[in-house]
Amino acid sequence: MNDYDAVVIGAGNGGLTASATLARQGLKVLLLEKHNIPGGCATSFCRGRFEFEVALHQLSGLGTEAKPGPLRGLLNGLGVAQDLEFVEMTDLYRVAMPGVIDVKLKADRGQVISELQKHFPAERDAIERFFDLVYRFAGEMLSAVYFRDPEASRSKYPTLFRYALRTCKDVLDEFFQDPLLKTVLSVYWGYLGLPPNRLAFAYLAILFFTYIEFKPFHIKGGSQALSNALVSKFLASGGTVRFRCGARKIETENGRVRAVITEDGERFPCRFVVSNLSPIVTYLELLEPGTVPEQTLRELRGRSVGPSAFVVFMGLDRDARTCGFTESTTFIVSHTDITEKPYNQMRELETGNELMVLSCYNVADPDFSPPGTCQASLVTLKFGEPWLRVPPSEYFATKYRCADRLLRTAEKVFPGIRDHIEEAEVATPLTHMRYLGHPGGAVYGFEQHTKDSLFFQPGRASPIQGLLFASAWSGDCGFQPTLEAGHGAAKAILRELRAGG
Amino acid sequence: MKPEVLREFDGYEEVVRAIELSRTHGVDYTPDKDSPEPYIRRLHPASLHLQIQDVFVETPSTKTFRLVSRDGPLPPFQAGQYISLVVEVGAIRTSRPYSISSPPNHLGHYDVTVRRYPDGLVSNHLLDHARKGDLLEATGPAGEFYHNPLFHSKHMVLIAGGCGITPFRSMIREILECGLDRTVYLFYGNRDAGDVIFHEELTDLAARFDRFHYIPVLENPPPSYTGKTGLVTGQLIREILGDLEDKTFYVCGPQGLYDFCIPELERLGIPRRRLRREVYGTPSDIRRSPGWPAGLDPDTPMAVKVNGGKTLATRAGEPLLACLERHRVAVPSSCRSGACSLCRVKVLAGRVYQPPGALVRKSDRKHGYIHACVSYPLEDLDILV
Repeated sequence: MNDYDAVVIGAGNGGLTASATLARQGLKVLLLEKHNIPGGCATSFCRGRFEFEVALHQLSGLGTEAKPGPLRGLLNGLGVAQDLEFVEMTDLYRVAMPGVIDVKLKADRGQVISELQKHFPAERDAIERFFDLVYRFAGEMLSAVYFRDPEASRSKYPTLFRYALRTCKDVLDEFFQDPLLKTVLSVYWGYLGLPPNRLAFAYLAILFFTYIEFKPFHIKGGSQALSNALVSKFLASGGTVRFRCGARKIETENGRVRAVITEDGERFPCRFVVSNLSPIVTYLELLEPGTVPEQTLRELRGRSVGPSAFVVFMGLDRDARTCGFTESTTFIVSHTDITEKPYNQMRELETGNELMVLSCYNVADPDFSPPGTCQASLVTLKFGEPWLRVPPSEYFATKYRCADRLLRTAEKVFPGIRDHIEEAEVATPLTHMRYLGHPGGAVYGFEQHTKDSLFFQPGRASPIQGLLFASAWSGDCGFQPTLEAGHGAAKAILRELRAGG
Repeated sequence: MKPEVLREFDGYEEVVRAIELSRTHGVDYTPDKDSPEPYIRRLHPASLHLQIQDVFVETPSTKTFRLVSRDGPLPPFQAGQYISLVVEVGAIRTSRPYSISSPPNHLGHYDVTVRRYPDGLVSNHLLDHARKGDLLEATGPAGEFYHNPLFHSKHMVLIAGGCGITPFRSMIREILECGLDRTVYLFYGNRDAGDVIFHEELTDLAARFDRFHYIPVLENPPPSYTGKTGLVTGQLIREILGDLEDKTFYVCGPQGLYDFCIPELERLGIPRRRLRREVYGTPSDIRRSPGWPAGLDPDTPMAVKVNGGKTLATRAGEPLLACLERHRVAVPSSCRSGACSLCRVKVLAGRVYQPPGALVRKSDRKHGYIHACVSYPLEDLDILV
């Protein structure tokens, strides 16, 4: 009765697609979630007449119905795409540096190039060549890596072999002179968690390619709508979900998973476990000491926990246009240092002039909040550690001080928005630690240095038979990669079952 | 990608060296070495274990319970927030939110001030049975009714009715005791002079601090009374304040206060962004709640099937959470007003009535999730807890 084919620990993106995929294939699946609501980061919360989106800024890889991307295929396959309404965002992003530059890029290769050329005429040709490189790189990456060309070689994929292991800054330096242009072209590092001097170029190239080719999207009802739709599909396929019920232990026998024990002490024997948690928590807290081979723990030591986020959620009592939100996504920039400064700023508690993004969902979806209102979230990346040094009695004051400084910076681009705030809520790295339970409140898993890119890391595999990972911690970060990670883990289980009978 | 192919990548050797270096000199993830858990629990404990240190009689129907912690320091809170006291009344384990009436600068204790409601299960229990030395369990401080310096004015207008004074007492004491840069007008409406909680303290504070203005308003004043009478009307507010600009209004009290005062403030032209209201529990008479099906008797019997197992007897007028608690089905709860989402459950079959104002996410509504504290069965239900 209590036996399951698979127990999935955590109902974040990866846990949800893993459970839904397995249940749809007729497996008996138990999904455990510590919180009372599914989604992990992919969630929302209500204040007054507003429902705030927590994490989704620009959904990648979906594509249009006419030109579907990989994510649309995945969601169609799970039967949830028809339950959801996707909203295309026409803009890629705006970069605003008050008094210096204001550039608005659309999700269109030609427009991106011509707009950048207009602002940086001296680097006309380099801009053209850079996007040629981005497209060539992405194309080679797709055939060689995603479609696993068995004959991959240096002569067949020269761009991939030359650029895959270089940093963004390195490549930008090769093409461009103007630090401002390099800054404008690298703001998406905010979606990846590492500044350009440390981030692998591969990530930036793929992100540009995916957003331009498949367009950025939002979901009506926010990411919670996707999380809820996946749970409903899972339940309809015969799955069992337990909310407010975390896992305490994963039992193994002869190097293979045997059961999961919940925080309430219930034991569920199972053949497979999909962990939507970090390998840190999975290996060191859920498995018995001695179960995980020393070599795996040594590999783990080589990884570093990525940043958390500091977010100001705002519900405003004016429509988006009146507030000055003409684009869905605005990166606000206060300096053009793309070397160590951004990284050091993430390590500091205080806020002020770091890279931040302001997302206003009403630009693409006027129904996102009640008529005559709009909502926006203002985000910057911050490591969790300094927040653990704040005396608890100072926590609220610190939170408001940091939020106030962030808001002041945003007001330089959007004057007067503060006067129209009707609801505001602040999430600190501690908030993310509390709700996600991840080390450091990390929102993107481990840092994605070149050495941590897909070529070198174990991905979903673990040394424990039957235990697989599915989250940003085991692969790339963001909605599309984590949703794909869960689906991939489920497919690996199904393959093993078919092979082993 | 095969290692022998990967080896051909520019920069491969360097990356391999970096990996080796990071593994040799990397992060020690030994559990609990630097776990954030104890810190998070200082701010947001799973539960508080409290003891009644003192009981103060405030009015014939009201007592203040001074609560101290039995397990470590009390978490900080924002003046205006509440804790939820968990109590066992007979066979029922339930909880009720109470605003902390002491200021956050006194973290040695929390005061909660409880007024008797005629049919109040918990208030009667606490007022009649809770004694000095008793142990109580509670959830950590929560709630959204507080001064948010990001967008609230430094000029605060507080409008309280009856027991709604409790969060304001915390705010006022903090502002005055800590010398915060704010001015406060307190309009405090009560039926009779004997109902007024904290009257002497508030009168004394108003006499000592220019920044604090106390305007008690009585519906049935005694013969010698010289203060304001009647209700807290828009006219009275305008008369006292004069200029209504650059002020944030906070309203807390029984349902009647909201029904009367919110429209008054709207008529004065106060925009929503300058109007904060505390949540106020379930409607006192569900039949009068907008959208309640005409003619439906709240005593109509209903049945609730939980997790495909046992079936519980209830009636249309009983909030689902109360029904679950009566049958000892444990569901976490805090605000009991539809706002905090802790008691979110899924309805598999059957319809419920939810009063306007329940803060349920759009996609939750679509997928059948409800907040059990403010959901009433209109049919027999099948729910997933």
